[in-house]
Amino acid sequence: MAAARLLQAVVPRFCCLGSLGKAAPSTSQLSSRLYGTLLAPEANQQVDPTVINDKLITEPLRHPDFFNVKELFSLKELFDARVHLGHKKGCRHRFMEPYIFGCRLDQDIIDLDQTMKHLQLALNFTAHVAYRKGIILFICRNRQFGHLVEVTARDCGEYAHTRYWQGGLLTNAHVQYGTGIRLPDLLIFISTLNNVFEPHVAVRDAAKMNIPTVGVVDTNCNPSIITYPIPGNDDSPLAVELYCKLFKMTITRAKNKRKQMEVLYGLQKKADSS
Amino acid sequence: MATPSWSRAASRSRAWQLLGAARRGSSHGTGDSLGPSISPPAPEKRPSSLTSALGAGSRQVPSKNVESFASMLRRSPLVQMGPAKDKIVLGQIFHIVEDDLYIDFGGKFHCVCKRPEVDGEKYQKGSRVRLRLVDLELTSRFLGAKTDTTLLEADAVLLGLLESREIRVTGFGSWGTVVDIIYLDFSKAFDTIP
Repeated sequence: MAAARLLQAVVPRFCCLGSLGKAAPSTSQLSSRLYGTLLAPEANQQVDPTVINDKLITEPLRHPDFFNVKELFSLKELFDARVHLGHKKGCRHRFMEPYIFGCRLDQDIIDLDQTMKHLQLALNFTAHVAYRKGIILFICRNRQFGHLVEVTARDCGEYAHTRYWQGGLLTNAHVQYGTGIRLPDLLIFISTLNNVFEPHVAVRDAAKMNIPTVGVVDTNCNPSIITYPIPGNDDSPLAVELYCKLFKMTITRAKNKRKQMEVLYGLQKKADSS
Repeated sequence: MATPSWSRAASRSRAWQLLGAARRGSSHGTGDSLGPSISPPAPEKRPSSLTSALGAGSRQVPSKNVESFASMLRRSPLVQMGPAKDKIVLGQIFHIVEDDLYIDFGGKFHCVCKRPEVDGEKYQKGSRVRLRLVDLELTSRFLGAKTDTTLLEADAVLLGLLESREIRVTGFGSWGTVVDIIYLDFSKAFDTIP
């Protein structure tokens, strides 16, 4: 016990390891071993010290569709935007077979009923991330839609990366950009492939860094390590415009809701205290 | 004889298809904002107005009349058309790079055609053209590859500008492109109301 206290005095870093106050001597040996691992800089500190209001954060989690994202799209809209059209049979990725409705004259047709469910889940998750002031990064390596994605990201106050992805952007961020960098909290892939029809490096890197991903997967994409895949067409301009519009509306709606709730709970707090 | 009535009904339904699916589906609350615009197609339609009309409008979905995906797919022009080889469709030019015309006809991909010598200047952004489809997507399996290599393009032969038959199309996407494939079946086209 005295040894632990001595350690605490000498190396103040040990204060963050909670149980040292009453530690047995064996635990102090364990903590000295832990000291060998490099403590990574905290990525997501609470940015808003004033509003650590429990209700503000937990209230949206009680409802399955708090932001009502279901009303943003309909089956007819998806159909008219050609979301159900996939590539030819020869381009099909094996893991996309559960999402494919059928194959018509060699062209795969994506099952829009499943797409509706996945889209609702993905939009709901995006809304929650935006509500909690998470950083969202749009990624699309399709040259035809690069500008559209960048404009969408700018319009909803988030970020986009539609250029060549350097290897260590996520995994080597602290070396490339300095310590204390905040990584995105959500990656949204409008197209999960890069220019040479291989899976985008960011899909794998986000999985490594425990960053959730939302991605539109076409019939030639690999949906396995994407957290919230949305089976759908990623090549037609109409479809991509629909996705961009939906994401923009969801994020804006979530941010507005956050402001609303802050005002609401701010007023409540004032009413309680007065 | 059952055939004339069927063909008339079919031509009527084809006329509906030619006029755009939005008008037919009047039972849905969703597509109606596209319906009333009967005026000749305006390729410069502002995307914001269309999307805001679709997004912000009160969307009541009558629970009895919602068409299922399978039914929508079966009735879509893409499926009704059958194999794409040698089908005549209408397309619209949405991008031009000197002599290359990028034409969207309602499929997954667009096609790229060379500007013809006849009436070359008349082909501008927004012009409606007639195409003869060859393939909906140019893919091929090369030796030693696991999957097909795709060119992300369709293949079609440009037949010419749309004659002044004034086929009115409602339901434009925000790029000013047609929402559905519009194909002309000449044997039935003479029964349709222009």
